[in-house]
Amino acid sequence: MENPRNAAEGRRQMFESFYSVIALVFILVACVELCDASTVVDVYRLIQYDISGVPFGSRVASLNHHAGSSLFAPGSDLSRTVVILPLRELNETFVREYIELGKPLGGLLLLLPRIFRLENSETVGGHGDSSDKENMKKLLEDLEQKLIHSSINYAVYFAYEDEDLDTVLADIKKNDAAGQPATATTGGYKLIVSSPTPKKLASPTITNIQGWLPGLKGDGDSNQLPTIAIVASYDTFGAAPGLSVGSDSNGSGVVGLLEIARLFSTLYSNPHTRGKYNLLFGLTSGGPYNYNGTQKWLRSFDQRLRESIDYAICLNSLGSGQNGLWVHVSKPPENAYVKQIFQGLSDVAEELGLKVGLKHKKINVSNPRVAWEHEQFSRLRVTAATVSGLSVAPNLLENTGGFSDNREFVSEEAVVKSVKLVAESLARHIYGQKGKKMDIFADNTSLAVNPCYIRSWLDLLSTTPRVAPFLSKDNPFIMALKKELADHVVEVNLQHDVIDGMFTFYDSTVNTLQIYQVASVTFDLLLLLVLGSYLITLFSFLVITTRGVDDLISLFRRPPSSRKAKSV
Amino acid sequence: MTMFHFFNCAILTFGPHAVYYSATPLSEYDTLGTSVKTAVVYLITALVKLVCLATFLKVSESDSFDPSQEVLKALIGFIDVAGLYFALTQLTHRNISQNHKFQAVGLGWAFADSVLHRLAPLWVGARGLEFTWDYILQGLEANANLMLSLSLAALGSLMWLRKNKPKTLIPIIYACAGIVATMPSITSYLRWGLKWHLPEVVGFQMLTSLTMALISWQLFAACQKPSSA
Repeated sequence: MENPRNAAEGRRQMFESFYSVIALVFILVACVELCDASTVVDVYRLIQYDISGVPFGSRVASLNHHAGSSLFAPGSDLSRTVVILPLRELNETFVREYIELGKPLGGLLLLLPRIFRLENSETVGGHGDSSDKENMKKLLEDLEQKLIHSSINYAVYFAYEDEDLDTVLADIKKNDAAGQPATATTGGYKLIVSSPTPKKLASPTITNIQGWLPGLKGDGDSNQLPTIAIVASYDTFGAAPGLSVGSDSNGSGVVGLLEIARLFSTLYSNPHTRGKYNLLFGLTSGGPYNYNGTQKWLRSFDQRLRESIDYAICLNSLGSGQNGLWVHVSKPPENAYVKQIFQGLSDVAEELGLKVGLKHKKINVSNPRVAWEHEQFSRLRVTAATVSGLSVAPNLLENTGGFSDNREFVSEEAVVKSVKLVAESLARHIYGQKGKKMDIFADNTSLAVNPCYIRSWLDLLSTTPRVAPFLSKDNPFIMALKKELADHVVEVNLQHDVIDGMFTFYDSTVNTLQIYQVASVTFDLLLLLVLGSYLITLFSFLVITTRGVDDLISLFRRPPSSRKAKSV
Repeated sequence: MTMFHFFNCAILTFGPHAVYYSATPLSEYDTLGTSVKTAVVYLITALVKLVCLATFLKVSESDSFDPSQEVLKALIGFIDVAGLYFALTQLTHRNISQNHKFQAVGLGWAFADSVLHRLAPLWVGARGLEFTWDYILQGLEANANLMLSLSLAALGSLMWLRKNKPKTLIPIIYACAGIVATMPSITSYLRWGLKWHLPEVVGFQMLTSLTMALISWQLFAACQKPSSA
């Protein structure tokens, strides 16, 4: 009696565990979410930021609509379409209506030409169709400025053109041209970027890297040695933070600073050639935000150090200096110090065959806008000048190294010449060789400016996006800069600080786009109809062949025939 | 709408089996047990085939057609036939006529084949957003496979269960059975050796299965006449 019951119990338990296993398998299977899209692309989002609470940039990150091309009929409703637009198909009306006036749009995917691809930047661009590239650059700059300064409430993404996207776009254009834009009922392509709502970045940090190369203290010298500061800001800002590499603004400045540090470290390593000036190198962050980082760096200085700074040279945009460099100052040109600096630079420039001009821009203390780095020094009563290839002071968030500032457009020779100019004039001042025709960093010597060093660092900078709020404190690039500077100078320090409260940034800068080819609802319904009729035909055929036609008819007329049989 | 597509493909792949069962007199004679037992036999046969394939087959790097490997695969495919033989003869069926026995066995065999080979890809693939024609073609393949299984079961029952057959028809029966049994090898040769695309292969399968079904039907009817006469 016991055994059957135990057996039944055991069997029941086995069934129950079996059912739970089955249920688990079903749940697992239902949760399998494979990415089965026909194309997956890396896309870079338009920046989203606020200035004092005023929103700018694209406020949305996720995307889930049908794709359309630029061949849409004017006036059609695009609020549920994502428009894929290669750069060369951008036209004025589109930009004005959808970007500036804010007409509703499902989303925007801008395709950048292949030559702007970051990976291609290692090869120096050919000179073929350079006017085409110049036009493209101008177009990109304009577009970038418009995008940065508008508030857009749909998602804007950038991607590079490649074969997959080209075929998809060609397909979409064929459909659009035939007057069949993709919607839920007509099939086509669907673009999906799944991303959570972008969150504010809490306290974005800026990191300043400073290097100290002490000068030769003579035996009887009890005074503090004078210091010369060489500064460059290394971070960028652009429409696409994932693509803002800023080769010229300010990659060239960073490269120049590193090369000057290398040259002077060679000189200072030997006590016989060590100059009687300390050298302070500063790689500052927060450049686009009114040189916020420089200000915080200077404020952190010891009073004595600040007073010992003879003058500061700020390096900016050395790569566009083919037509000559400009020295920007905030003290009037008649000032003795300014005269001294400019004289030193122009003497060397004459020998090198470069043109240098002097530009004076007065500081308005009440205006928070800081256009040049030297102005932060001047506000603290330190003589400073900026050496730059730009002749006009840029506006806020202009010339900050967006994606149009590519390796293609930086001239290595210009950077080499500018570095030679600054280094030579500095050296002549330090070693008291003013007015003498002494080539300290002469070519083909061990002290020559090294173009390979400049090229390799320019290449590295041109593949590293460096928007400050997205660089963490221990970002590998910052560590690399620190290590490189440490190779040349005696002491390296990092200073971390927070960006001024005026700017707020949002995350989610790089995402993946999935392009699905979807069939329309009508197709599914049609297929259901066809299959239903097929199964019904099959059923009738089988009934007829195996049981006879009468049986088929009887299936539909069973109730009346049975009643008839009964009545009869 | 993607569950919709999955539903469509599912009824294309599995619908005909259900329709066949309900439309023919099989349902009246309650032959479901036979079909279930045949499905189990198919499962065991598939496992045995897997083990043999894993033991004897070399994994080739390229997608090319290797004749010796294909011959080996065909030989292992004959295990299928052995399994069908087992299902037809050895399983104790209730007293159902031969006519219905082979239909039930064929149906069970084809249903198990469809479920094992086509349900998992369908579930995982047809539910996604991306649209491909693959699953519809797979459903058509399942239909062709149903007809082939039924023909094979019919020929098998003719070969092993029927004792008195007209002498002239015997070689034809064996020849047709041979063709149907080697159909999988022929299909894979077309796909990998001649590099046909999937729609063409499926079309070929449907055509051949129709012809074989017709031929085996005629043969079965021809063998039935003497006993009924």
